[in-house]
Amino acid sequence: MAHRYIGKRLPQLDSFHKVTGIATFTHDLELPGMLYAKLVTSIYPHAKVSKVDASEALKVPGVVTIATGRDFPYRLGIYVGDRDVLAMDKVNWVGHPVAAVVAETLEAAEKAVDLVEVEYEPLEPVFDPLKALEPDAPLIHPKLGEYRRAPAFTPVPGTNIANRFVLKRGNVEKGFEESNVVIEKEFKLPFVSHAYLETQSTIAQYKMDGTVEVWTSAQSPFAVRYLMALSLGIPVGNITVNVPFVGGGFGGKAGLAWEPLTALLSKKAGYRPVKLELSRKEQFTSGAVRDGVYAKVKAGAKKDGRLMALKGRLIFDAGGYGDYTVNVSRAAGYSFGEVYDLPNVYCESLAVYTNKVPTTAMRGFGHPEAVWAVERTVEMVSSELGVDPLEIRLKNVVKPGVSVTVTGEKLRKDAGNPSDCLDAVAKAINWGGPVRKPGEPWRYIGKGISVFCKGPAQPPNAASSAIIKLNEDGTVDLMVGTGNFGQGTVTSLTQIVAEELGIPVEKVKFKFIRGTDSMAYTWQTVGSRGLYTDGNAVLEALEDVKKQIKEVASQVLRVKPEDLEIRDEKVYLKGRPWESIPLSELVMGYTYPNGNSIGGPIIGRGKYISPLNTYLDPETGQGIPTIFYTYGATGCIVEVDALTGKVRVLKAVQAFDLGKAINPLMVECQIDGGFIMGMSVALFEEITFDERGWVQNPNFSAYWVAHARDIPDEMMEISIENPQSDGPYGARGIGEVVMLGVPPAIANAVYHAIGVNINNMPMHPENIWKEIKKQKPELLEELKRKLMEIRELKVER
Amino acid sequence: MARNITLIVNGVKREVEIEDNELLLDVLREKLKVKSVKAACWRGECGACTILLNGEPVKSCIVLAAEADGSEITTVEGLIKDGELSPIQRAFIENGALQCGFCTPAFTLFCHYILSTRPDITEEELREELSGIICRCGTYKQIIRAVMQAKKHYKK
Amino acid sequence: MSFGAPYLTLPSFKYVKPKTLREVLEFLAEHGEDAKIMAGGVAVIDFLKERLTEADYIVDIKGIEELGGIKYEENKGLTMGSTITLYSLRESRIIREKYSALHEALKTLDPILIHRATIGGNICEAFPWMDTVPPLLVFDAELNIISLKGKRKVKLKDFIKGTAEIDLNPDEILESIFVPEPPVNSKSKYVKVLAKSEFGVVNIACLVSNPVDPSKRIVKLAYGAASPTPTLVPQVEEIFRREAPLNKLIEEATSVVLETVSPMTDIHASEEYRRYLIDVLTRKILFELLTAD
Repeated sequence: MAHRYIGKRLPQLDSFHKVTGIATFTHDLELPGMLYAKLVTSIYPHAKVSKVDASEALKVPGVVTIATGRDFPYRLGIYVGDRDVLAMDKVNWVGHPVAAVVAETLEAAEKAVDLVEVEYEPLEPVFDPLKALEPDAPLIHPKLGEYRRAPAFTPVPGTNIANRFVLKRGNVEKGFEESNVVIEKEFKLPFVSHAYLETQSTIAQYKMDGTVEVWTSAQSPFAVRYLMALSLGIPVGNITVNVPFVGGGFGGKAGLAWEPLTALLSKKAGYRPVKLELSRKEQFTSGAVRDGVYAKVKAGAKKDGRLMALKGRLIFDAGGYGDYTVNVSRAAGYSFGEVYDLPNVYCESLAVYTNKVPTTAMRGFGHPEAVWAVERTVEMVSSELGVDPLEIRLKNVVKPGVSVTVTGEKLRKDAGNPSDCLDAVAKAINWGGPVRKPGEPWRYIGKGISVFCKGPAQPPNAASSAIIKLNEDGTVDLMVGTGNFGQGTVTSLTQIVAEELGIPVEKVKFKFIRGTDSMAYTWQTVGSRGLYTDGNAVLEALEDVKKQIKEVASQVLRVKPEDLEIRDEKVYLKGRPWESIPLSELVMGYTYPNGNSIGGPIIGRGKYISPLNTYLDPETGQGIPTIFYTYGATGCIVEVDALTGKVRVLKAVQAFDLGKAINPLMVECQIDGGFIMGMSVALFEEITFDERGWVQNPNFSAYWVAHARDIPDEMMEISIENPQSDGPYGARGIGEVVMLGVPPAIANAVYHAIGVNINNMPMHPENIWKEIKKQKPELLEELKRKLMEIRELKVER
Repeated sequence: MARNITLIVNGVKREVEIEDNELLLDVLREKLKVKSVKAACWRGECGACTILLNGEPVKSCIVLAAEADGSEITTVEGLIKDGELSPIQRAFIENGALQCGFCTPAFTLFCHYILSTRPDITEEELREELSGIICRCGTYKQIIRAVMQAKKHYKK
Repeated sequence: MSFGAPYLTLPSFKYVKPKTLREVLEFLAEHGEDAKIMAGGVAVIDFLKERLTEADYIVDIKGIEELGGIKYEENKGLTMGSTITLYSLRESRIIREKYSALHEALKTLDPILIHRATIGGNICEAFPWMDTVPPLLVFDAELNIISLKGKRKVKLKDFIKGTAEIDLNPDEILESIFVPEPPVNSKSKYVKVLAKSEFGVVNIACLVSNPVDPSKRIVKLAYGAASPTPTLVPQVEEIFRREAPLNKLIEEATSVVLETVSPMTDIHASEEYRRYLIDVLTRKILFELLTAD
C-alpha cells in the first residue's frame, strides 16, 4: 500500500521555530525571581578538602548563599552511585565542583567565586588507567563497595575498577592454535568532548510544599526525574521535569547531571528558582566527557581469511567518576566483534577510575571504541594474509537467520544484513577500481571500508509508553516522552500517527516541551532506541484509538467495527466510500439528532517493553543484550599528504540496514552528521592534560571540531531496507551507528594509501607523521628526495 | 559606569541602560530579550551569537554593548518580512539544513548575509565562508545545499 | 580560586571612545598605563573575560579616520591604517595581486571574526601564530607609531620582542603599517599547517623575485607559530644571492632556517614535528617559487 507520510522527506516539524529563532532552549529561559549559580572547582587532581571559607565571598553584594559538599550529603548515579553533588571531603579531578555560589546576577556570582577560599591537602594522583590498576595505586573511590549500583554491574571494592565485564564464547586459545595467522596489537583513544553547542543548563525551583520543578537541557526527562527522586529521597511524583528545545545531546545529556545540585541550591536560597549554566570551559573540565580507551586485541585467522578467534582487553579510562561509563565499557565488552560470526571470542572490559575529568555516554556508547580496535585488527589480518579487506569482511560477517552472535544469540531471519551494506558501499566507492592520480608526488589516495553494528544498550526492562488524545476538532495530541534534540525522532513519530489515522500531519501536534507531566513515560532517549521502542508504543496507542473510533462509528453506521476504515479524517464503510462520518463528529462522542450521545473523548494508550532481552551471564556475558541490531558499513576515499601527515576525506559513503527509512531526509541528516562527527573525532579531537591533570584545550580554538571547510567533497547516504518484523514499519534505530565505522574506515584508507597502520586516535598530522617515521622512515626520505627533484609544480588550492 | 545607548534592533529603535563592561550578547539576550542570539563558547569561536552589526557579521560575545551605541542590529527575526519567511529560511527548512537548531539562527542569518553580498558565490567558496560557525550536528552539507538553492532569489 | 577561571562576564572598566586621534593620544598620555587599546576587541575582550589582563580603561579607537583606510601608491607601496579590518584586507584587489602571501594568510582566518579583527590588533597581540605577521615580515613591513611626543617608525621585525611583547609605550599607538612595493617580478606564498586546533603549527611566508638571476635574486622567508615569536630569517637573502645550483642553495637555506627559528613544543605540536615541517616545507615552498614561471 502506498504511504502518504511513511518514507517521505518531511522537514523536521519544528524547523519553522528553529529558523525564526523562536525555538526556546533552557539557555534562553528565565523565571521570575531567578538566581544564578556558579561553581567553585578544584585546582588539584586528587586532594582532601580540609576547609572551605566562604566568608569573604558572602560579602559580595548580590550573593544569596554559598553551598559546599557537606550541605548536600547525597550520592548520584544511574548505574553506580559514585558521584557527589559537590565534593564531600575529597576531590577527584581538576575541575571537580567543591562549592557553588548563588547570587542575584551572574556577575556577582562570578565575583564571589574568586573569593571562596578552599584549603586542600593534596593526595597522590593517578592519571594513567593502567597505573590505576596496579595494586599500590592511590584509591580514588575508597567507599566503592558502599555505593548503590544497578544489578548488571560489578565494581571491585578496594581497587579503582568501577566495573569488570567478561565476554566468553568458545575457546580462543584453541582458535588461535587452529589459525594460520595470529596478530596482536594495541590501540588508544583519547578523551573527547560531545561539544554539543548548548552547554549543560538547568533551572530548578525547590518549592516550599516539597515539590520540585526543573527545566533542563537533557535527553530524558523521565530519567532525570526518577534518578533525582531516588538520589534525594523525594517522591517521584513531587518532581516535574520540563525539557524544552535541546542544543544537542549526543549521549552527553543522557541520565542525570546538574539537576540535583540546582534544586538543592534553590532550596538553600530560600526556594527561589536557580539557573546553573556551564561555560564552555566548565563543560570541558567539570562536566562529563567521553572516556579514553587503551585496548589490546589478538586475532587469529585461517589462510582464506576465516576468523577463528578474537580476544580483547579493553581498559576504559573513566576519569573521576564512572557512573555511566561502567555501562559504556560493558556495552563495548558484549558487542566486541559482534558484527562477525566468531567461533571463539573473549573480551575483558574494565572501567577504571583516574584523576581526570569524569566520563559518560557518548553517541555509540562503547561501540566506537571497540569497533576502532576490531576493524583495525581485521584490516591488519587481511593485509597479513593478503586477503582483500572487503572479501575478509564479507566472509566473516554474520548472516541473518544463520549466525550466532558473540553473546550466543541465534540471529533472526529479519535481523538485517551487513553484507548488503558492504556491497553497497564497495560499489559506491568503486572498490578495487583505480584511484585518481593526486596532484603532487607526496600525496597518496586510498580507499577504506569498515563494517559494524549496534543495538540499544539499555536495561532489559527499559519501557516506553504513549498517549494519543483526540481533540474536539480532530487534531491530535501525541504525548510520548521521546527527547527532541536534533535527531528528528518526534517528527518521525508524528508521521506514523498521521499515516495511521489518515489525517494531515499538520493536525498531529508536536509539543516542544518534553515534560514528565505532559508526556507518557519512556525510560530514556538514548541508544538509538526512540523510534523503535517509542514508535511501537505509539503504534499500540494508535490501535487503541482506532478501535475506540470504530466502536462508536460501528454503532452509528450499524456495521461491524472490522468493516470500517479510517482515512482522510473520516470513518468509511469499506466498499461503500460514500458512507462516512467525519472524525470530528466522533472524537468527543457521537451525538444523535435527538441529543442522545454515545462514546466519549477518545484517548489511546500504548506501551512497549522488550519481551526478549535478558541480563547477561555474569561469567560469560552470554544472553540477549539488545532488541535489534542495526548493521552498517562505511567506505571512504582519502588523500594523505605524506609530507605533512594531513589526511583529507574526499568521498564518504555509508550504508545502513535500517529496515525502513520512515523519513529519508532525517536519515540523510543522521548519516552525514554521523560521518562528520566520526571524521572530526578521527582526525582532530583529543582532550589533553598536562602533568598536573589540567585540561590544556578547554575551548574551540584548541579543541577543533569539524567546520564546513573540513567536510568531504562528496557524501553519499545509502539506506538498505530489510525490514525488522517487530519494528515500526520495519524500522531500526540509526542515531549512533552512523559514526561507528568512520574512524577505522579512514584509518584503513590511510593504510591503503601509504601502507602505514594507525592504531591510535586522533589521526592528526603529527600522529600520522610519527607513525610514518616509525613504520616507514624510507617513505619520508624518498619524499624529501622527490621534493628536491621537482622542478615544476602545479600550485594547488 | 551606567550609560544609555540606542540600538536599532531589526528596524525597531530600542533604548537601554547598560554598564560599560556589558557584552552586546548579554544586552541583546538579557535586557532586550532577543533570544535567537545564542552563546555556546563565549569567546568568538563557535559563531552561535553571530548578528549583523550595521550590516556586517560579528560575533556578539566579543563586542561591548557600549561600542554598538547607535548601531543597526539584525538578527534572524529581522529576516521575516510581512510575516513571510525569507528565501534562505525556507531553503533551510526544505533542505533539512538543521538538526538541534542551536546554531540555526546564526547560520541562517549569516547565509542571508553571504547571499546578499555575494549572490554568485560558488560551493567551494561557501565551504570556506561558512567556517566561522560550528554545527556539531554536522549539517554542513544540507546548509550548503540550502544556500545554493536559495541563491536564485538573491541575484540582482 | 577555581580551575581555569571560566568567566562569562567581564570585570569592571570604563569604556572610552575618543573622537579624534588627538583625543586618543591625550588620553593615553594621561592614562596609558591603566588603559588597553581596543579596535576589533577580538583579543582584548577575550583576555578580560579570562582575567588574563585587566584595565581601568578600554579605549576604543575604531572609526578614527587617521587610523583607518588603505592606500596604495604605485611603485611606492601600501599603507594600511591600523584599525582596518582583516576582512577589508582580504577583499583588497591590490593585496590579492601584489601581496599574495598576505592574501593567502587572510584567507585562512575565521571568515566572521575578520569583520572585526584588525591588522593592528593582529600585530600587537604578538602571539606566535598570528597569521598576518610572517607575510608582513617578508614584505618588509614598517610600522608608524604615534604619541603626543611625535611619530616614529619601526620595522615589524624589531617591533615584536617576544610572545605578547611589543615595542610600544603605554602612551603610543600603532597608527599604520606600510609595506613597500614588492620587488619587480616577485611572487609570494603562504603555507600553514593546521593540526588539531585553529592555529597553524608552522606558518611560512616566502617571497621570491628574479629566481633565475642570482645578482638580482631576492628570497625572503619568515616563520610563524613555530617558535615563541615570528621570525624573519635574513641570512636566506644572502645565500640566494650566490651563484650555485639551486638545490645546493635550498639545502643551505633550509639548514640556516632550522638554526635560526628554534622550534618549540606546546600543546599544538612538538618541537620535533615542527622542526621536520620547517625542513620539508621550506624546501617545498622555495622550489615552488624558485621554479615557477
